[in-house]
Amino acid sequence: MPKQSRKSVNRSEIRALFLSYRETRDPKVKNALVDAHMDLVHSLARRFANRGEPLDDLIQVASIGLLKAIDRFDPERKVQFSTYAVPTIVGELKRYFRDRASTIRLPRGLRERTYKLNTAIQQYSQEHGRPPNIREIASATGISEEEVIEGLEGAEASVVASLDTTTENGELSLLDVLGGDDKALKNLDERLSLAGAMSNLDPREQNLLYLRFVEGLSQTEIAVRLGISQMHVSRLLRRALMILRQDLMASTEPHSL
Amino acid sequence: MSCDEKLDNICIKVPPKEAMTRIVRLATAALSSRVGLNLDQADDLNTAVEEVFRSIIVGHDQTDDLFCVCYRLGDDRLEVIMESVPLDLSDQSSSVNRYSRFVIESIIDDLTDMPNPDKGYDIHMVKYLAG
Repeated sequence: MPKQSRKSVNRSEIRALFLSYRETRDPKVKNALVDAHMDLVHSLARRFANRGEPLDDLIQVASIGLLKAIDRFDPERKVQFSTYAVPTIVGELKRYFRDRASTIRLPRGLRERTYKLNTAIQQYSQEHGRPPNIREIASATGISEEEVIEGLEGAEASVVASLDTTTENGELSLLDVLGGDDKALKNLDERLSLAGAMSNLDPREQNLLYLRFVEGLSQTEIAVRLGISQMHVSRLLRRALMILRQDLMASTEPHSL
Repeated sequence: MSCDEKLDNICIKVPPKEAMTRIVRLATAALSSRVGLNLDQADDLNTAVEEVFRSIIVGHDQTDDLFCVCYRLGDDRLEVIMESVPLDLSDQSSSVNRYSRFVIESIIDDLTDMPNPDKGYDIHMVKYLAG
């Protein structure tokens, strides 16, 4: 987005604009307030850049936060507008990332590499009866070991696997195939006395943890059982563990978060 | 561990920040590859290392402390030693500690935790090559 030249507005002019806007709700006054704070919007949006979303989109989201802050701000309060607006704008940006977490699209190059890696891992596991190591994946795909590591970790970091996504060999969602009636699951929380944290997980996420940590199935074995890739199992497990840890932290240290 | 064994040692010092989790995971993945751990084993080790690292992040996100993660590369295994960690795995009165111990013990071949002379605990994890 080309940088626009904006007229500098001092603090008393801002206050006058807010007093006027509170009385009149005039869109022109609101526009003037928006224009006066676009530097703040750009600055906060840039903080969230490099997370896979275009800066222009982030500026749009931050602008929505600014509009909300302008509507809610009371100029009689003994606080500067920017102090009031920052948490609102940052909150809007965070909400945007949270809502889009399961739908953020990877760059095409990374998607293609992830697909290639996935295919090679599955093929190797089927042929050799064991999962490959990085060197073997590199050899099978013609991608360097560094790029394989980067690809596996990159996909891990940028995609939050969702239980609602469909399996790779059909139309069923993971919610369908994971099941969740195993009575032993209910004992896991009690066995570990995890303060009920397991109950905050979806029954299917509990089942996944059970398969891995109680039955001791490897990720590859779980992948075969569920008809999904090892990489997907890895992402789902990581997600479930993070949720469990966060819930435990929140329940034991309510003021730390 | 025998003195005759040939092990390469690699140590990294990282600030306990959320953004560093990826760095630690990448280092663990790269060194897992170097000793020949398969994907399942490498991911297990990464999960355990991340679990310990996350316990370090809590309460330290705003400090300038650096935490040391050491890797020892053997012919048949990868060892990870995380020093001065504020995670007492033997204290099972905390549900977070119980959870951490459960996760790590389930996926790591050998786990040892010893009090560090200066502060916290040194956690030593070993993953052996399959077969």
